[in-house]
This record gives sequence, structure tokens and C-alpha cells, in this order.
Amino acid sequence: MRATRAQSRSYSTVLKTMLLPAGYSVERWSYTLQRVTGVVVTLYFVLHVVETGNFIGGPGVWYVPSKDFAASYYEQVKELLHNPIFDAGLVIIGWMVAFHTINGLRLTLAHFGITLGKPTRVDPESPPRSFSNYQRAIFWASIALATFAAVYSVDALFGVLSG
Amino acid sequence: MREKNVMLLHYLSGVGILIFGGIHLFTVFFTRPLGETVWETTLLFEGHQFAILEVYRNMLLASSLWFLLLFTTFHGLNGLRVILIELFPNRAVRSATRYVLLFLGFALMVYGTRTIVIAHMIR
Repeated sequence: MRATRAQSRSYSTVLKTMLLPAGYSVERWSYTLQRVTGVVVTLYFVLHVVETGNFIGGPGVWYVPSKDFAASYYEQVKELLHNPIFDAGLVIIGWMVAFHTINGLRLTLAHFGITLGKPTRVDPESPPRSFSNYQRAIFWASIALATFAAVYSVDALFGVLSG
Repeated sequence: MREKNVMLLHYLSGVGILIFGGIHLFTVFFTRPLGETVWETTLLFEGHQFAILEVYRNMLLASSLWFLLLFTTFHGLNGLRVILIELFPNRAVRSATRYVLLFLGFALMVYGTRTIVIAHMIR
């Protein structure tokens, strides 16, 4: 199916709506962050499955190798992956995983109608409000916990507390 | 499968990831002594209570990794599908997406399962 010009314009509008929440409410930030973190963590997950394949000697190994072979192969890969740039990437992944988890719990609760509160009369004069107070609190908790997770990962990966 | 049920599975697999991912992160990050990095402890090949080979040799931990693989594969790829449907609401993209993601999911499961089973058997 070939997209017409009007259609492709609407694709870019949707993409812009998805990715640029600046100037809108926190609801929109929550929506965008949930999607962006989801995509990035999924890409990380694919790489992580590939990378952990090196525990047993890499992608070519479909038999049980000797422990010495697996260990020496792993040490080589570890030397390659253990560097400040990859560690910094893991800190960002840590932030994203923690945010996506807690904000995802908020969405799961909302799916089953929990934390949404009673429906209220719509006031045409005030801006739309879709977060209940509980939902808003969980969103900010997810930001806070994600930041804690990032700080914790900095210590776990770089060892800043070891002195 | 109806979209309603797929989304229910999406939420359930999310809760599954919370449980099994919690176990995974616990063994990697919370069993190290404070002041030592994961690189010096849990990411050793051997020689720590939760070093790589120790985790894979343990039947319960290895199985929990497999469930984490299963849930994350489904949850991640279904998430991509949902985003792509929102972006391109037409049938051709939807059908192409479905087959590409099914193939990718199958490949991830095969490769990940290989790693877990073989690492469990290394002596």
C-alpha cells in the first residue's frame, strides 16, 4: 500500500506528537517517556541476549564447551565491554528500566481501574486533566526511583563509594 | 488473538518481568559487598556466590532467567508492535510487523535458551 502525501504528513504529525511533549502536561511526558524508554530497553535487551551468549563461548557454540574455553572467551569479551562508555550507557539503561517499571505499574493499575478515582464533571474552562492525584504521585515516584537507580548503578559499575 | 487479550498478556508479562527481573537484578547488583563493583564480584566467571557460572548452575536461578527471557521477549516486541500500529495504522504495515517481530522473537528465544541450557551444563 502506497502512502499518499496527506498520509505521510499525518505520519510525521503522529511521530511529532509521540516524541515532543515539551509545553504539554505531565501526562504527555509520561506517554512519551514510557515509549522511548520501552524502545531503548528493548534494543538493549536484544543486545544483552546476544552479549550473554558469550558466557559459553560466543554465537558459534551449540555444544557444551570445556569450562576453560568458555572462561577465556568470556574474559576477552569482558575486557572489551568493561569501559567507561559502556558503563555510562548501563547507568542510563538503569534509569530507563526503573522508570518504565514503576510508570508501567501505574498503567497496569489504571488498566484495571485502580487509582483512577471517581469520574468528575468536565469543566470546559480548565485544561484537560487525565491523571488522578494517585496517578500523578506514582508518575513522580517513578522519576524519583529511576534517579535513585541511576545513582546506585554509578556506584555498582564505577565503584565511587569504595573510595 | 483479540487485541484486548494481547494487552492483558502485555500487563501480565510486565508483572512477570518485575518478579523475575527483580531476582536477576538482585543476584547481579545486591549481592556484592558495598564498595566493590559488579565487575569484581558477580560478573566474575567463577569464584563468587553469585558469579556467572554459579547462577547458571543453580536450577532455580537458571529457570528464572529463562522465564525472564520469555516475558521480556514478548513484552518488548509487543510494545514495538503497539507503537508501530499507532504510527502506521494500515494493514500492510501491521501484517509485515507481525511477521518480522514473530521471527525476531523466535530467534531471541532460541539463542537465549541455548545460552541458558548450555551454561547450566558446563562442568
